[in-house]
Amino acid sequence: MKLSIAKDQLSDGLQAIHTIVPSRTTLPILSNALVRTVEGQVELTATDLDVTISATVGARVDVPGALTLPVKKLASIVRELAVGEIEIEVDDKLCAAISAGPSFFRINGLSADDFPPMPDIGGAPLVTMPQDRFKRLIQRTAFAASNDESRYVLNGLFFSFKEHKLTTVATDGRRLALAEDEVELSLDGACEFIVPSKSVAEIGRLVKGTGEVEIWVAQNQAAFNFKPEQGVRARLVTKLVEGVYPSYQQVIPRESKERVTLVREEFVQALRRAEIMTSEKSNSVKLSFTRDNLLITSNTQDVGEARESLAVNYKGTDMVIAFNPRFLLDALEALDDDEVYLELTDELSPGLLKTSSPFLYVIMPMRVN
Amino acid sequence: MFRVILHIDMDAFYASVEQRDQPSLRGRPVIVGAPPTQRGVVCAASYEARRYGVKSAMPSATAARLCPNGIFVRPRSEVYAAESRQIMQILREHAGPLVQEVSIDEAYVDVSERCQGQSHDESIDLAVPLAAQLKKAIHTSRNLTATVGVAPNKLLAKIASDYRKPDGLTVIHESTKAAFLRPLPLRSLHGVGPATEQRLNSLGMHTIGDLQDYKGNLRNVLGSWADELRQFAFGEDSRPLDLSDEVKSIGAENTFLRDTDDRPTLRACLRAQATEVAERLNKHKLAAHTVQVKVRYGDFTTLTRQLSLDQPVSKPAEIYRIACWLLARNRLVNRPLRLLGLSVSGLAEITAEQLWLPLR
Repeated sequence: MKLSIAKDQLSDGLQAIHTIVPSRTTLPILSNALVRTVEGQVELTATDLDVTISATVGARVDVPGALTLPVKKLASIVRELAVGEIEIEVDDKLCAAISAGPSFFRINGLSADDFPPMPDIGGAPLVTMPQDRFKRLIQRTAFAASNDESRYVLNGLFFSFKEHKLTTVATDGRRLALAEDEVELSLDGACEFIVPSKSVAEIGRLVKGTGEVEIWVAQNQAAFNFKPEQGVRARLVTKLVEGVYPSYQQVIPRESKERVTLVREEFVQALRRAEIMTSEKSNSVKLSFTRDNLLITSNTQDVGEARESLAVNYKGTDMVIAFNPRFLLDALEALDDDEVYLELTDELSPGLLKTSSPFLYVIMPMRVN
Repeated sequence: MFRVILHIDMDAFYASVEQRDQPSLRGRPVIVGAPPTQRGVVCAASYEARRYGVKSAMPSATAARLCPNGIFVRPRSEVYAAESRQIMQILREHAGPLVQEVSIDEAYVDVSERCQGQSHDESIDLAVPLAAQLKKAIHTSRNLTATVGVAPNKLLAKIASDYRKPDGLTVIHESTKAAFLRPLPLRSLHGVGPATEQRLNSLGMHTIGDLQDYKGNLRNVLGSWADELRQFAFGEDSRPLDLSDEVKSIGAENTFLRDTDDRPTLRACLRAQATEVAERLNKHKLAAHTVQVKVRYGDFTTLTRQLSLDQPVSKPAEIYRIACWLLARNRLVNRPLRLLGLSVSGLAEITAEQLWLPLR
């Protein structure tokens, strides 16, 4: 194999794949990236056997070929090199000579044949949609997933394709986020799967604001192709979480007694300030609604208290309800709407946060002793 | 300030108390624990019994086979607890308030304040008369013997007291600590159990000296713990004494009359334990960030597995659910169990209870 590649290209490609390289592994080849020429381009691939990411970057290929190289070493070399063209030439002992201007490196590779094969998911994609809209769905829901291993079906993001809609849902059992967008589906009927949180984090990293994303699904895996208008094209293939996602529909309150409109930014600021006076022991804020006023209070014994008053348009009955401020802020910070609507019934019933876009967030209150 | 730490370890504590209180037992192999005709284990063995290979936690039946003349004595836990309080009091009177009670018969004392010399070694030497005084005071007022280790930190103080027993006093100096450790087996180091030992053995290491000399990267084998272990191998340890007396864990365990892998029996047992643990949490107004299960098989192999949670749990159903998950996920019930235990730790006070979505 012999090729010439711009430092920026190689660097961007390594950026896209390096996060999934396991830091400790019993399988040494997983510390390596597969470097392979494909139709005049270079494809870099890394895997931890659960997730595989490939990045395709432009290069001048003189002699096609493939081998695997240690990712950490390669990334360090590329990072430290001066800007410019990098020449890579591999001999028949799988030793790569890397030269760039006055610098020269030799690193030993391993055979491409020993690298785990890229899972094959073929055919037409299930859906093709703009990356920015896909990104929005992920951003608005992924944060609510559980990281409690013993609730493994909740350790991921639920995707549901149905009736020309893609719905994403995440919950940790205490709050639930749901977002929806319209898509062109290539199949009739419905399709549902759960993508593990680790892969969702990688997707969040790879998804850009431009171009399109293609999504495939097969038996127990899904693939995401990111095709930005410019820059690295990446493909992520992930195993899916096995199991049945809980029937989340039933925990979404059908109707609430009170509804109040809040200016998102104001509400966020007030909550952040009130959060200062919470602690691990005492992690709740109290929301007291009275006519045209919302009072947010927090206190920690032996530390102190905070009080925030907001003018709101509230005409309902007086109500006091306590929430973990982090849970409210997680959702409010993931949104970009100017206004949000909070629907409440009583101090022990779930609260419902909505926006004018297809999004909703169910949040369970805290019972304060 | 130069650190000077003592480790005080009572010699064959339960057995010695029994020998003291019943003169007819003196000089004879005393085994404190369940009678050999019953299911149960040895809690402690006198030095006379240890000569036959009797060890604590061994089934009583095995102990009786190894030591046919052994005299089995039922444990009197209240007596030992009261004795322990007296001894801890003696430590405080003679060596100051910085006492960490590790268990009923073991404590660390930080005596740095009163033993400062020109050098670290000299400071340690200043503590030797104090250590001897402690031994004497325990002997005079309680008629029991203790072994004391004097060293620059907890790790070494414990190793020193294990070094020569009973009635011993061993000193490890700062300047020679690494050399002192060289010939000792790896298991002498705090935190090295059978699993770590096996991994190190497979890399050709058998003594602490081997570990000191090892040039490879231990992180690949041991993960993040490698750095601390390496420090330990050279006798470096900055762990402070833990002087708090708050509740740190709550647990329950049951030994079955007959080893069992019957799922309904095990589930009922866990459910009862979860209820008990939750009640005690509730009494202290606490919730737990960590849930642990413990199993012991017929051959006495004992395993524990735990899960840590960002949101603490306090309800019996939730503790039970996690315990079941831990057993299933680690396939712990692959043969009959002799013992099943459940405990919680990482305890935090609760002022407000997070409610859950009724998901199903």
